[in-house]
Amino acid sequence: MRILDLALKDISQIFRDKKSLIFLALMPIVFTLFMGFAFNGAVEDPDQRPRVGWIDRDGGSAASQALFDMLESSPDMVIAPLGDLSMDQAAERVRSYELAAVVETPAGFSDRLLAGEPVRLALIADANETIGQAAMQLIRPLVVRALSAAEITRLTLELYPASDVSADAQTREVFADAVEAWKSPALSVAVQPAGPVEDSGGMTNPYQQTSPGIMVQFAVFGLINSAMVLVLERKNRTLTRMLTTSLNRASIILGHVLAMFAVVLFQEVLLVLFGQFLLGVDYLRQPLAILAMLVSLGLFVTGFGLFVGVMAKTEDQVIMLSLIGMFVISALGGAWFPLDVAGPAFSRIGHFTPGAWAMDGFQNIIIRGLGFSSVMLPAAILMGYGLLFFVLAVWRFRFVEN
Amino acid sequence: MEDSMKIIDLALKDLLRSFRSMFAVGMMVVAPLIITGLMYFAFSGMASQESGEAVPLPDITVSVVNLDQPQTGLPELGALVVDFLRDPAMPDWLVVNELTSEAAARQAIDRQATGVAVIIPEKFSAVMGSGGKAEVTILHDPTLTVGPSIVKGLMEQFMDGISGAMIAYQVIDLHASENDAVLAPETQMAVLQRYTEWFTATSQNINHADQPILRFISPAGEESSAGVTTNPIGNILALTMAGQIIFFAFYTGGSSTLSLLNEDEEGTLARLFTTPTPRSMILIGKFIAVFFTVILQTLVLLVASALLFNIKWGQPVTMLLVVLGQVAAAGGLGILLISFLKSPRQAGPVLGGVLTVAGMLGGLFTVAVPGLPELFNTINLATPHGWVLRGWKLALAGAGPGEVLVPVLVSLAIGCICFAVGARIFRNRFA
Repeated sequence: MRILDLALKDISQIFRDKKSLIFLALMPIVFTLFMGFAFNGAVEDPDQRPRVGWIDRDGGSAASQALFDMLESSPDMVIAPLGDLSMDQAAERVRSYELAAVVETPAGFSDRLLAGEPVRLALIADANETIGQAAMQLIRPLVVRALSAAEITRLTLELYPASDVSADAQTREVFADAVEAWKSPALSVAVQPAGPVEDSGGMTNPYQQTSPGIMVQFAVFGLINSAMVLVLERKNRTLTRMLTTSLNRASIILGHVLAMFAVVLFQEVLLVLFGQFLLGVDYLRQPLAILAMLVSLGLFVTGFGLFVGVMAKTEDQVIMLSLIGMFVISALGGAWFPLDVAGPAFSRIGHFTPGAWAMDGFQNIIIRGLGFSSVMLPAAILMGYGLLFFVLAVWRFRFVEN
Repeated sequence: MEDSMKIIDLALKDLLRSFRSMFAVGMMVVAPLIITGLMYFAFSGMASQESGEAVPLPDITVSVVNLDQPQTGLPELGALVVDFLRDPAMPDWLVVNELTSEAAARQAIDRQATGVAVIIPEKFSAVMGSGGKAEVTILHDPTLTVGPSIVKGLMEQFMDGISGAMIAYQVIDLHASENDAVLAPETQMAVLQRYTEWFTATSQNINHADQPILRFISPAGEESSAGVTTNPIGNILALTMAGQIIFFAFYTGGSSTLSLLNEDEEGTLARLFTTPTPRSMILIGKFIAVFFTVILQTLVLLVASALLFNIKWGQPVTMLLVVLGQVAAAGGLGILLISFLKSPRQAGPVLGGVLTVAGMLGGLFTVAVPGLPELFNTINLATPHGWVLRGWKLALAGAGPGEVLVPVLVSLAIGCICFAVGARIFRNRFA
């Protein structure tokens, strides 16, 4: 009962502080919305497609027009004709993020291309920017298609040469046939997510990544409050004063642990309900599995929070240790971005952090649509980490600062 | 003169105090280097930095389900797809196996035994004879993002090769008809052979040649082969390090200013105010210490990262301008934020929370992540962190001093405004 009293004291101390509440509840919600909004914009708003500038120095020739048409008909980008803009001015527009890339066809492009002479187009894009890389990936195959139409024209005219009188007209005609054929190629590729939740469209709901990701991040970040209570109690000797009561050392530690766990669980439940009912993330498709994940994540964060509270000597150190823990666990664990976008070593290292296992467990339910058995391993690993930090914390626990 | 010396003494004292604390040095210098070091290990573990190879990806298991039933005498396109994906020239992280049915592929994806399944339809090869259309389906684990899009890109490139050959045949056949001619089988084969050779050479040229048909120019005006301005791994490291330098510079701006509140609480500030030194001088000395701590930290991190990770920070004058903007913004914002606090205990949410939130909004932690929407670039600029990051991005891209003036001036303006407000609050408080 006294353990409960002590836990209630910690909880009321944390919840009385409005700033703590902001960071426990409001900030994660705002962040989930913000990150989801940003990703959502990319998925649903066609204006978020890369804007590609177009400079035609070949005066609307057949090949230039064909390439322009191919680029313009791509559903994945928006083409913006730039007239006669200089390359420096075009580069400035890429630098200022107005455009993701700029394509320039040189003077004489069409004639040289159809004559089989070497041609060089220019592409301005920033390889350091993801939008620039995306634009490059979209533009290259379409350039190859335009070049292919010219090659097909040459092959055709080699077999059936045009008369001198109608050479130009026939060349344009054959080229136009090839370009027309490329509008509907014989073979195409369709991509679709697999698995039981195929109807959800896979990761098309951006909150399926950001909701559990921000939950993991702020669960770790939230331990600042809990660990801070411990550090302050040690600094102002409240811990030693507690020892003069009938509470024994184990009860004091357990009281604090219980409070930390309750605070984290409160935060997690709040974010799950928010995700479920306002963001369309189907956490509750497997209630038991989600409960197992919430409890195991809560136990890990509690163990880690106790460890930080024990290791930190000052408030500064609590903040920094919590921040570093948050960075490492969130970034390496795939809470900010899916681990499959990083390198193999990163992905492997990520799975040494509890963050990656937490994300795996949540995504097994909400994206892959799997059942309870799919969260057993992630939950067990999270609890293992929690136990490890708890044991380390109890081992190093001190009631007074040396 | 005497006042100036006192200001310098006070600033030096605070500076020494900051750098004597092992914990502070750890957080100011070691933490950002460790985080970037993790990235270095993560992204360069499998590829040489000097090689300029593309960033390797985690292994992606691709299961091919070849349901194609080619008619006798027609090319076996399904088998060609399998051979293409199994080609030794494919990246090592692409692990290919074969399954017998779509159901088996779906089960494998559910078990996470495979990430991507390529389903080749029954009448795939038949398009060669019929002139119809065929669609290859790529099924994937719904949690994967990059792997499926890479497999899609590879498949599209391969299928464009075949589609192009078919278009070549179609166009030539059309003109043969117009010329009342019939395309002999050997001529057909020769045409397809020539087209295939052309397609292979062009794909190779556009992706890997030193002088590609599509010449790539960075916004800074530098031309490079096949769309890579510099080493991609180096880019990731440089951007990550820039993000870390900015985050920890802003943290240092705040935590250095926190010494004012600590001294106030410990009573040493009150004792200092009893000396003949004017209070304004004491505050100026402390503010100078904040800016100098951030300058020192930034310079140490720039040099260390250049030595450890071979990061090229750009033209020296450009770099110094960006450092100037960063120091002003980080110091100014730190002073402003701490001026709102009543005691050091309130520093947790401010230093931990506000700076983390601003850092995230500013794009510091996702700067090297591919695939983020362009909207982020706009949102980033709502924070001082975003403006400083923009300066570093330009510097890393080789921009000249004139090109970073806007972000540097905005950072300076933000820093000056924050400093003016923060200093005023402190002055009123300790007046």
